[in-house]
Amino acid sequence: MTDKKTTRARLLAVFAAAAVFAAACSTPAATTAPSVAAPSVVAPSSGAPSDAAPSAAGSYKIGFSNPLGVGNGFREEQLCTAKAQALVSGQVESGTWIHRNTDAQGQLSDIRDLIAADVDAIVFNPLDPEALNPALDEAQAAGIKTIAIDAAVTDPETVNLSNDQVDYAYKGASWLFEQMGGTGRVWYTRGIPGHPADTDRDEGFKKALAENPGIEVVPSAEGVHTNWDPATATQLANDFIASGEYDNIQGIWTSGMDSQVVDAIKGAGKSFVPIVGADLRAFVEQLLNVSGDYEGLTGIAVYNPAAVGGAGVKLALQLLNGETVATGENNTVLLPAPEAWDNVSEEGKAKLAEINEPSIDPLYPVSWYIEGLTDYTLEQMLACKGPGE
Amino acid sequence: MSQAAPTVDATRAGTFDAIQSALRRNTWTLGLLVFLAILLVFTRLIQPTYGATGIQGLANSVLPLALAATAQAIVVISGGIDLSIGSMMALTSVVAASNMQDQSDLFSVGVVIGVLLLGLLLGAVNGAVIVVTRVPDIVVTLAMAFVWSGCALLVLRTPGGGSAQWLEDLVLGPLGNEWIPKAGVVLVLIVAAIWIPVSRSRFGLSLYAIGSNQLAAFRSGVSVGRTKIFAYMLGGLFSALGGLALTASTGRGTPVPGPYTLLSVAAIVLGGVSLAGGRGGVFGPLIGVVILQLIRTDMTFLKLDPNLATVAQGLILIGVVMLGSLLQQRRSRA
Repeated sequence: MTDKKTTRARLLAVFAAAAVFAAACSTPAATTAPSVAAPSVVAPSSGAPSDAAPSAAGSYKIGFSNPLGVGNGFREEQLCTAKAQALVSGQVESGTWIHRNTDAQGQLSDIRDLIAADVDAIVFNPLDPEALNPALDEAQAAGIKTIAIDAAVTDPETVNLSNDQVDYAYKGASWLFEQMGGTGRVWYTRGIPGHPADTDRDEGFKKALAENPGIEVVPSAEGVHTNWDPATATQLANDFIASGEYDNIQGIWTSGMDSQVVDAIKGAGKSFVPIVGADLRAFVEQLLNVSGDYEGLTGIAVYNPAAVGGAGVKLALQLLNGETVATGENNTVLLPAPEAWDNVSEEGKAKLAEINEPSIDPLYPVSWYIEGLTDYTLEQMLACKGPGE
Repeated sequence: MSQAAPTVDATRAGTFDAIQSALRRNTWTLGLLVFLAILLVFTRLIQPTYGATGIQGLANSVLPLALAATAQAIVVISGGIDLSIGSMMALTSVVAASNMQDQSDLFSVGVVIGVLLLGLLLGAVNGAVIVVTRVPDIVVTLAMAFVWSGCALLVLRTPGGGSAQWLEDLVLGPLGNEWIPKAGVVLVLIVAAIWIPVSRSRFGLSLYAIGSNQLAAFRSGVSVGRTKIFAYMLGGLFSALGGLALTASTGRGTPVPGPYTLLSVAAIVLGGVSLAGGRGGVFGPLIGVVILQLIRTDMTFLKLDPNLATVAQGLILIGVVMLGSLLQQRRSRA
């Protein structure tokens, strides 16, 4: 009996250890998306000259917290842009980059660790709009600036750097419905249920829908959720095609799980219908038909720049230098409306070809910078090194 | 466990023996305390500003996992294992958050009591299924983990709800002195108030008895089934406390379970609880949880990849089990 129990105990221990390892080493290929969709311009600072605080050069410590999507192109690029911006600013002595998969309690703990690490500013992609508030209050009490990127928090002292996800969805959906001539059936695929970006995009999609009464949404008005997971998206697309439903639709709206759906259609030997996606490089290449395998594919890539990480660091430094930052409702710096380019117009094709930078990973967004909000070069972003690394 | 035996003989030698035997029985816990002290000194060395704020953050960070580890410790001492702790925490957390939102303080007290009763009920179901069906506990609780997390998604599809302000205030901030975190005080009080009376009772003895040898316990007249169910109920109760801690610290309920189940196993092993059952206590695991969190914090200070901390936790788990069996071999040879 004792022997048996000891064996069992050892098995349990090995099992638990292996599971802990797996959690650390696996890269849940999740999420593309929850991000900002906005490119160009609009400096958040209100007229701050770039030579604002040379005295502060190389003295700031930046903390960064991203709580999910390790291994996901958008989240990885977001981290790299933050590191590159910290490096190129010349004002950052060191960065503490916490980039891991955890829950809201885990991100609370990460932010508290960053407070204890005595950083000057914390740039974070929030897992939840409200859960982090206690730690953010503690940070501000310690004199630390807090900047939420990609999604907003309700804490009034935190500056939110957010874009208009409502407009992101509205823009793509409006293009799609126009392509369809205002009538027909659309397959509606979404992200993670309850995620702020998913909720906002749903609002934008429904806004476009209300303007196009001839459009019918399948499988239901609430769509299907891919959880921003490529494997789930592929599975859903294969099932949808196998069910025969694909033959009855005239358009597809995706929340960034785009190239997977296109490949599923191609794999099934079906002809393409117009599709909306994000600006992940694999999808852009399909739209440009670089490989020659995607003849007849029409679609639009809506920008969702991961460069919000770099823009967040730049904003943090502006706040640290005492520059005034113009914010709107809910202490938010709004990024301009997202750009979107299709492969139907000549202008769109030219823009897609221009932005299709071959050195960027296929699963990363091609919009690797935001004009006026980030300063690094493509090489610096790809190197993914912060100050002192 | 581990209370110093009453000294019948009041001579100096008797007292000395008692102290010595108490020390011997608590070697592991004392060793952990020493290790924790060294770790704190190390933390202070690599981060000279680490102080009261750091201790506050540490206490707030460990609270949910510490309660999960206590739940796991009790179940494992009784010879079982509970892989549904994280799911029970998620379920109790969303039940609390969805019912407490925008309610009066009085009502939220009722919700807290209700959630604790729910925890006892969930644990009772786990235990009863194991005892009645005789399906191995690892299989039953793994299955129940899916059931409870599915239920959590039925209660709240997305993170939401709210927490009563008094519940948040109960664990947030210092108690008088800035070095004394409320979360730490609450944790020690809760665990002591429940565990100390239980461990000294007849039931506590039965718990260790069925954990170390079920057959012998049965032959000595211990009601094995009832004790086992009670152990799982206590596990459910502490899981519910963990769920409430999650709601209190985040002010929300999250239906997707966090990493607490497997981390609780790591913490109890580090805390000196034998996975074979019958040995260990709950205070060792509490120190184990603090050590695991502090290692993660130190890695942040050292600017190491945070995912390395998870790897380190796994390595510590294997190392501790190896060290434990090595010590046991030496002891049995001696």
